[in-house]
Formats: sequence, structure tokens, C-alpha cells
Amino acid sequence: MSVEEVTQKTGDLNIDEKSTVLSSEKEFQLKHPLNTKWTLWYTKPPVDKSESWSDLLRPVTSFETVEEFWAIHNAIPKPRYLPLKSDYHLFRNDIRPEWEDPTNAQGGKWTHQFWGKTPDIDDLWMRALLAVIGETIDEDDSEINGVVINIRKSAYKIAIWTKSADNKEALTRIGSKFKTVLKLGDDAQLEFLPHSTASEKHPQPSLVL
Amino acid sequence: MFRYTEEELLQLKPEVDVPVNFDIDSFRAIIDKVKEIQGLQEEEYQQFHRRRSSHHHGRPKIKHTKPKITTDSDGWSTFENTVARRKSNAAGNGSEEDLPVKEQPVIAQETLKVKPNKNITSTKPADARDIVTDKAVNNFNAFAALESDEEDE
Repeated sequence: MSVEEVTQKTGDLNIDEKSTVLSSEKEFQLKHPLNTKWTLWYTKPPVDKSESWSDLLRPVTSFETVEEFWAIHNAIPKPRYLPLKSDYHLFRNDIRPEWEDPTNAQGGKWTHQFWGKTPDIDDLWMRALLAVIGETIDEDDSEINGVVINIRKSAYKIAIWTKSADNKEALTRIGSKFKTVLKLGDDAQLEFLPHSTASEKHPQPSLVL
Repeated sequence: MFRYTEEELLQLKPEVDVPVNFDIDSFRAIIDKVKEIQGLQEEEYQQFHRRRSSHHHGRPKIKHTKPKITTDSDGWSTFENTVARRKSNAAGNGSEEDLPVKEQPVIAQETLKVKPNKNITSTKPADARDIVTDKAVNNFNAFAALESDEEDE
């Protein structure tokens, strides 16, 4: 091929006019997709005796990318600011944060109570959220349904909800990682409570780490 | 399968706030309102329903009014009844004008006088007048008994 022919073909490529991710402002704003959609729920504390549980538990919003997660997380009040008897729930897809939901019915939860003021509770809650949406807490990708924080007068409680309550090996792996995420020492206990025992007055944990 | 470590997710955290896909102002307003109501409820509870502090053990002090006693120059002590009688009836209206007129029972206005007995442990009578009271009124007369009416019959 002669120099003239190469020059002609190169001109036909018309590189300057071709649009790329870098040249398009819209395409440049790339988003990082999450494995599934997640829905944030909020339990409003009752201020009137006529309010029922269904009135108090409401979905706030859903997101499917890392960027959407950060936008929401930065905008909503942090746990330390929430009124007493509030709950935040982050659940996969359209799973309702209730024992009665079919996806939760056979499962349970790893839970830990932080007694007292716990000044770093906002950071611990954020670490729990990142571990769940980043899918790093469950290697098998089949157990985690959601994560919950309860704001109470005497304690904060953070729990991870699982699909099953009898897969001891997988649950123990998840519990061990969850304990690291919550920065719990050897003296702190993490308990697994099957939802089937939730209605009991003093439910006993089936697993303790 | 998308996985992100905590460090990777933190690197993607924006420096500035980004608009969200829901009404964040309404959400914040609900939370602020709940906090305000809880604050008022707590204030009301502290004001009206607070239990007595467990720090103060023991029973509350009840003031008993002591009866007024006056002692005269002879050493006689007298109780004075200063308690006022309630005038209300069972219905609680307290109006005596509505009641049928009844003759008020006469209540003897007596004052009980008690003299302290200094000789309570001795064999001496506390009051000299008791000596007269204890003295036998009828003595047995053997001669009078012999002259009884039964023998005459």
C-alpha cells in the first residue's frame, strides 16, 4: 500500500468525529452496578396509639448502583440522630423486613447489642451496609436477605438476616465475618436467633460466636 | 457477580452531596417531627408521672396533729377538741339549707378532767375521797341477827 493510499484510508476513519465514553458527558458518568437491587425501609416510632405496625414500616427508596447508595446514605439521617424506637432496614429486592415474608420465614438473624452510648455506631452501621451490598460477607451469595439497625433507649442493635437457620457451616462463616465488620472482640458475643423462636418470650440463640 | 470490598466502595464515595431519587426533605421532616413529639412526651412524663426517687428510702413523713392539752394551776390537764366537724352530706354538696329541718340532738358538753396519780405504785389511795367510798356501809350485828323475824313466826 502506498503512502497516498494509507493517508486516504486514515482520513476515512475520521477519528476526531467519532464519539467515545470520554467525549460523551452522559456516558462518562459510569455507574458501578450492585449485584441486586436493595430497598431501604424505615420504621417510624409510634406517637399515637392508633398507629399499627403496617402504618409505621414503610419503604423509603431503592437503589442498584454504588453511586446511588452513597447519594442516599449521605442524605438520610445517621442512626445517632434518629428518634428512639426507630429502625433502618436494608433488604434485597422486594423482601419485606418481616418474619412473615416467605424469604425470611425459614431464616434467622445474627445479632449483637451495643449497650450504652456507642459513639461509633454510625461508622459500624456503615461498615455493615458496605459488607452487605458489596457481597463480601457471604461467599456463597445465597444467605443474606438484609441488615437491620434498631435504635433503643438502652442499646443499639445491628442484625444480619439470613434465608436459612439450619445451614450451620455457612451461617458460622457469615457470623465470623460479621463479627469482624462490627469490630467485636473475643469477649463480645454474637448470637444467631432463628425467626421461628422470635415469638418466644426469652428466645435462646441456636449459635453463639 | 459484582463484588466490592469496603475499600473499593469507600473510594467511590463522592466528595459532595448528590441528589437522591426520593423526597428527602419530607423524610427528614417526619423524623424531626417524631423527635419533637417524643421530647414533649418525655417532658410531660418527667413533670407528671415521675416516680419517687428510689434514692430516698423509707416512708414519706406524715404530720400528725397533736391534741392540745392545757394544765391549770391545780395540776389538772384538759384535752381541747379543736377538730372541726365536716358539714357536707353523702352527696358532697355540703348545703345544710337543702336538708329537712330536724331537731338537733343535745350533746353534753363535758370536759374530762384527769388528774395525774403520783401515788399509783403505793398502797395509799390516790384521792382522799376514795377512803370514804371504800368504807363498809353495813356492818354485821350478831345481836340483831338473833332477833330476826323468822323466829317470831
